[in-house]
Amino acid sequence: MSLRRFTHRSQKDNELAEEITSHLAHEQDRNTERGLSAEEARRQARLKFGNPQVTRERVWRYRSIAWIEDAWRDLRFALRSLTKTPGFTAVAVVVIAVGISVNTAVFSVINTVLLEPLSYPDPQSLVQLMSLSAHGSFPMANIPKFNIWHRQTSIFQQVAGYDVGGAGMNLTGGDHPEQVQGIHVTAGYFALFGAPVVAGRTFTTMEDSPHGGHVAVLSYGLWKSRFGGNSNIVGSTIQLDGQPYLVVGVIGRSFVTDAPADLWVPFQFDLTSQDLAHYFRVAARLKPGITLPQANAQLKLAVDEYRRTYGTNSLSSQDGFGVVSLQESIIGDTRFPLLVLLGAVGFVLLIACANVANLLLARASARKREFATRAALGAGRSQIIRQLLTESLVLSLSGGLLGLILGFAGVRLLISISPGGIPRLGEGGSAVTLDPNILLFTLGISIFTGVLFGLFPAVSVSRPNLAATLNESGSRSGISFRSSKLRSALVVSEMALALILVIGAALLIRTFLKLQAVDPGFDPHNVLTMAMSISGDRFQKTMPVAQVIRDGTERLRAVPGVVDAAATNCLALQGGFGMIFDIVGRPKGNAPFTGGAGFYSISYSYFDTFKIPLLRGRRFNEQDDGSAPGVVIINQAMARQYWPKGDPLKDRLQIAPGAGPAFAEPPRQIVGIVGDTHDDGLDRDPMPMMFIPLAQMPDAETALNSRVAPLWWIVRSNVDPHTLVTPITAALREASGGLPVAHVRTMEEIEIRTTSRQRFNMLLLTIFGAAGMLMAGIGVYGVMSYSVQQRTQELGIRMALGAQASALRNMVIGQGMRLTLVGVVIGIAGAFWLTRFLASFLFGVKAWDPLAFIATPVLLSAVALIAILIPAQRATRVDPMTALRLE
Amino acid sequence: MVLKRPPEAGDILQGTLDMLILRTLVTGPAHGHTIAQVIEHTSENALDVEQGSLYPALHRLEDRGWLSSQWGVSENNRRAKFYQLTAKGRKELAAATGRWRRMTRAIGLILGEQNE
Repeated sequence: MSLRRFTHRSQKDNELAEEITSHLAHEQDRNTERGLSAEEARRQARLKFGNPQVTRERVWRYRSIAWIEDAWRDLRFALRSLTKTPGFTAVAVVVIAVGISVNTAVFSVINTVLLEPLSYPDPQSLVQLMSLSAHGSFPMANIPKFNIWHRQTSIFQQVAGYDVGGAGMNLTGGDHPEQVQGIHVTAGYFALFGAPVVAGRTFTTMEDSPHGGHVAVLSYGLWKSRFGGNSNIVGSTIQLDGQPYLVVGVIGRSFVTDAPADLWVPFQFDLTSQDLAHYFRVAARLKPGITLPQANAQLKLAVDEYRRTYGTNSLSSQDGFGVVSLQESIIGDTRFPLLVLLGAVGFVLLIACANVANLLLARASARKREFATRAALGAGRSQIIRQLLTESLVLSLSGGLLGLILGFAGVRLLISISPGGIPRLGEGGSAVTLDPNILLFTLGISIFTGVLFGLFPAVSVSRPNLAATLNESGSRSGISFRSSKLRSALVVSEMALALILVIGAALLIRTFLKLQAVDPGFDPHNVLTMAMSISGDRFQKTMPVAQVIRDGTERLRAVPGVVDAAATNCLALQGGFGMIFDIVGRPKGNAPFTGGAGFYSISYSYFDTFKIPLLRGRRFNEQDDGSAPGVVIINQAMARQYWPKGDPLKDRLQIAPGAGPAFAEPPRQIVGIVGDTHDDGLDRDPMPMMFIPLAQMPDAETALNSRVAPLWWIVRSNVDPHTLVTPITAALREASGGLPVAHVRTMEEIEIRTTSRQRFNMLLLTIFGAAGMLMAGIGVYGVMSYSVQQRTQELGIRMALGAQASALRNMVIGQGMRLTLVGVVIGIAGAFWLTRFLASFLFGVKAWDPLAFIATPVLLSAVALIAILIPAQRATRVDPMTALRLE
Repeated sequence: MVLKRPPEAGDILQGTLDMLILRTLVTGPAHGHTIAQVIEHTSENALDVEQGSLYPALHRLEDRGWLSSQWGVSENNRRAKFYQLTAKGRKELAAATGRWRRMTRAIGLILGEQNE
């Protein structure tokens, strides 16, 4: 079709008008020839032609794209009508913007964390290998498992192992030593993840074999920051943990790992090792066409292969192997909290919608005569609905645009207060960017809300009783029974939704308070902690580690202000290692071992430094070293669980029974029982724990520990520990021969961090709940003051007939509170059903906590009462004479 | 005076009206009024069309390139817009006439009328 049709419309219309004039003139000429009078000739000509206006309109419409034309007209009208009531428009846009911004913010995070595919090539075929056990699955592996897994070539193209660099590495050889994130990987790692190599190469299989030499691959960031982007870096040597490492390559900037990496070094696994310690992860790429179930089926067979190779005792009967998609594994358990959050902001949006719908209904009632007039002039019902929907869409899209901006500011705020440990957010949330998904989402909910809150009033006013409306006088006649019922329903649902949000918030507040009240079992005040990486060759045996600890402890104690100091391989509240044990002489039945417990290697002053009370027996002392008989201290939880009646101090523990020759050690005498600490987090019951002196660790265990975890120093002071950071780090550097420390934090900071997830949940839901409550309050205020205004005349008559002001006030309050109470009852029922989804967030309170379920409705009713009092008071000030004269 | 609803462009007449206009212009250029009169007379007033509905059709045909137009002076010495058949319009007329013949013949067969 030719575009000519739509161009130069006005010019063509003028031409057509002239053409029609000419036509009429010719017809008139003809009629005059037939002998008609000039007047009759003209009349006949016009009759024969029909309405020239209709002809022009038809051509005009033919030259236009009708719906664009209509939409444009509706839009202009909507803008005009909205700018006439700037107050209403501003309130509505802001309410929608608030509702949409929280949704945009939460969705941005969800989009980045849950929805975006991993940034590696062909991410769908990447899987994480899992160790299955009776207690669930975990993504960790040991060398024997890796050995079996990487042979499953029928399902895997590539298999690679990697750790998360927890131990850190010391980059020395410059002016300032620095602890860096050094990730251990197997040779296939870079190919598996499609890491781009910008210089040099990655590791060869030879380099990833035992005694393959010291080689490293640098990240782009480290290459730039530490080595100034030196183009000759490949082939040069850097100092890592005091050893020279040959740099063989540099990886491109686009390669992002979830635990950020500064450099990579090869694992150099001895694949014949029988070492059963799980300390790294394994990922693999599925062969094309292989599905997850197929891979899992093949791995079931691999379990048999494993048992044949390593003996039936190496894997208990409930254990096995499996795969999950790598994305699933990285997202882990953050999915559910994020979805709950999305549900909560969805409620906020619904409340906002109900609120704006209410405002629009009031506005529409006031405009009833306008619509009746338009209907009388020939506007169809659909045209009126379309007009009103256009208005609400203009509102919601403006609100959406504002909400997008607010939401993007909000998401920064959200990330800044979010607990650590949300995967995939990048450095400071840098991975959260404005992408088409977010724009589409915001556009989608804007349109959805616009239609949702626009449809109620549009449908309710588009069925006007023309004659009645036009004949009614003034603007007070507006509120019809139907629309007042609709408005009440909206207020009731606002109340119910707000109540659910606030009950959720109340439960989380109670949870947080309960957590704050938990005694961690040690005194976190004035304790500074820091990590020292001891991953180098120097610390492969226990003796040198013990030496550094002894020296360090003495030097730290000499620092003015320091009360005591100690070292440990696990930090309280941070979680630690687990270990199996046997109680010597106690029958184990069918089980391969007596039990499992948390396993800490500590220096002798650990309990004093943390002020963990000794309940029985003795603490460790300096004499408990490698030359002394083995000793172990247990906590109260362990004593209760394994010696409900007996005396633990009479027993000996065999730690890590059957863990292989390298870890073999004689049984240890239990010499003391200490108080429980909440090391797995404040929300968990203390678990059984065993402590052994660091100085008594088997060498193989020290070597492994040094490799996977840093050594933690803890220092108690009698002044603000922040003021002692410089002398403390200096003392430790001297004691260790120049090793730097990292992650310097006080124990109180760590305590705050462990409850940050609960704090975050509480804060957000409290904000959403407060916003919901405020909007619900505004909603009931709006309905009641509108109703008072509409009934001015009725109230005036009542007054004139002698009604007391207080009676009128109570009448209005009664009506408002009835709405509130209906909303509250529905809200309580809804909350009973919905708070179960919060159960996993709660600590120390039940999902149906009576306090929350009583206090919250009272609070909400109080807010509603305040909102209702204002219009109720206004009702008492109605002057009968004015009210009656208004007619 | 009984108001009759004028046939809309979408009614049965649309295609027919187009064809009649093209047919009228085979003999030479004409302005709107002439075209209306010719159609009226030659169809023995069987097609009772408001003259106004001619113009949307004229404009549509011109947009399609079947007609061209030019302002000129009429036999009554008045300014008028004259329409003229283009080459494309002639082709279309031939095609439309063919289609029409085939259709009327088919309808005739169905209604059991004798062929001419």
